[in-house]
Amino acid sequence: MEYPKVEVFTTRAKLEAGREQTVDVLIRITPPALSLDHSTRPNWKGRPDLNLSLVLDRSGSMEGEKMIRARDAAMFCVDQMLPSDRLSVVTFDDRIEVLFPSEPVTNKQAMKDLIARVTARGSTALHEAWVRGGLTVSERMLDQGINRVVLITDGLANVGVTSTDEIVTQSMGLFQRGVSTSTIGIGADFNEDLLMPMAQSGGGNAWHVVEPDDMQHIFQTELEGLIAQYAHTVSLSLIPADGIRIVDVLNDFDLTETGRYRLPNLQAGSPFDIVAQLRVGAEEIGSQMRLLDLRLGFTPQDAKQAEVLKQAHTIEFASQTVVENSTVNDEVIKAVQFLMNARARNEAMKRMDAGDYAGAEAVLGSALSATRAACASFAAMPAVMEECASLQETSMSLKDRLKDKMSRKKLAYAAYTRQTTGKLDQ
Amino acid sequence: MAIGVLKEKGRKYVGLPEFARVSGQLVSELQLEQQRGTVTSVPDERTIRYYLAEGLIQTPEEKQGTASVFNYLNLLQLLTVKKLQAEHLPIRKIRELVAGKSEQELETLLGVRGPSGKNTEAKRYLESLLAPAPSAPPTETVAAPPQQLDASPHSWQRVEIEPGLELHVRSDYAPPATTGKTRSLLERAIHRLRRLRD
Repeated sequence: MEYPKVEVFTTRAKLEAGREQTVDVLIRITPPALSLDHSTRPNWKGRPDLNLSLVLDRSGSMEGEKMIRARDAAMFCVDQMLPSDRLSVVTFDDRIEVLFPSEPVTNKQAMKDLIARVTARGSTALHEAWVRGGLTVSERMLDQGINRVVLITDGLANVGVTSTDEIVTQSMGLFQRGVSTSTIGIGADFNEDLLMPMAQSGGGNAWHVVEPDDMQHIFQTELEGLIAQYAHTVSLSLIPADGIRIVDVLNDFDLTETGRYRLPNLQAGSPFDIVAQLRVGAEEIGSQMRLLDLRLGFTPQDAKQAEVLKQAHTIEFASQTVVENSTVNDEVIKAVQFLMNARARNEAMKRMDAGDYAGAEAVLGSALSATRAACASFAAMPAVMEECASLQETSMSLKDRLKDKMSRKKLAYAAYTRQTTGKLDQ
Repeated sequence: MAIGVLKEKGRKYVGLPEFARVSGQLVSELQLEQQRGTVTSVPDERTIRYYLAEGLIQTPEEKQGTASVFNYLNLLQLLTVKKLQAEHLPIRKIRELVAGKSEQELETLLGVRGPSGKNTEAKRYLESLLAPAPSAPPTETVAAPPQQLDASPHSWQRVEIEPGLELHVRSDYAPPATTGKTRSLLERAIHRLRRLRD
């Protein structure tokens, strides 16, 4: 089996000798790219089979553009799937309807005809619809494929079980039993504090569709992500060498039962960045030192058992002049800054919730200046320009009370993607 | 390979030597991280006695003559301890993780849950979520106690926290997802206990 590549970078390749310091460490995990090589994986078809349930909100608020785009996106999904995949569609308002149960995607036209007839009505029985979608998946569980519910909604759960904690806990419970959940929230009126944790603890992705037009793009990304899923149940432990202390892990991961960092699913070929800050003591010039041991636990998509990858990282100490004249790794600086910006967004959100809009704006303003300063030498990098634009735009929209719900969602999802996917673009 | 463990379900092992033999086989079969450089010794009778004394393996209540009769739960406890040791967790932490865990939970910790097991499990779980038949009209959130008339096939497990205090855990219970939630759960538990005292 081909293992993920784990690389460890520091801002400069060597550390300055003779003083205690805090060191930013970028840990980059890159799973192998999808391969069609049958010699190493005889049963591998190039991608896992999918067993999906689309759980589609058709409550009154979906009426118009949103309903049309959601239907289009669901039909697009049908088009993208293979006859070896399975799909079911569940629609919900205050009533729940299994439009069609889990079936192989062989008669695409029949599926699309059924989807085309879905129109908006009623209120939002989100929880039960999610359970029903899960049931259609669980009745046809794929051993080595991906079993997933994709919940699409623009509203608040207001029928049946509505407690966020309860639904999030159940989503995790279902994931532990082999079915993951992704959520797609549309517009400004759904509950991001429900949909994001539901996907995070449910082993899937959380998406925010700002404009109905974005729906197809999001569906495509979700599908590509499913197809490219390399491993699930991913965890990392960082064990610093004696005398070294972990000050912070900027991604703010949840911890597993055994105290490891709980990481998102790994995607084939796409790198995932983690930043840890270590406190390192004074060392002599020329000395080599073990910085930390890493243990990456994961369950590859086509395997049943967990794998553990172990790696150690050592670093050399040099004189101040040598270190100052060495090249700076822009990737480390960027990763640190973007994760700090994720925290700034969460902080801004807290201030918003407390009614302190000026404070929220100030937090984003200083994040923007900090980004410009830190990334000055590579300011033209598209990711940097995009990050600055995003901070600026959200900061502007904070001035308008009518945009509050949308601003909060933008902050929440931008923070989430930076901490869990390492990508800016959803 | 992992399925070898699941095959042991329901079996009993009379006497320490037999238990040591079977678990020894499984430890090497499961290659509890041996391959990747960590030395994991196969558990001998002495090690098992130590685990029993440390409370890492529950002392079997059943006896045949003078021999203790070990069961599947004991086996899972032993394998999980081995696995966690291979991950360099301290004994204290291992005890915390293993004590009072059900067969299912230990299978999950061990990573040996077969997909076919998961299959029916996911379905049963979801069905249990639907069990308290959703009353149609949108109701205000009522803080009523969960009124399950238990038609659903749940099993309960009793976990002793200390003499005189037990937790009852339903088979489909999922532990809190985040440390924050764990904390709030603990706070609720403490609060309830205080009310008993007052």
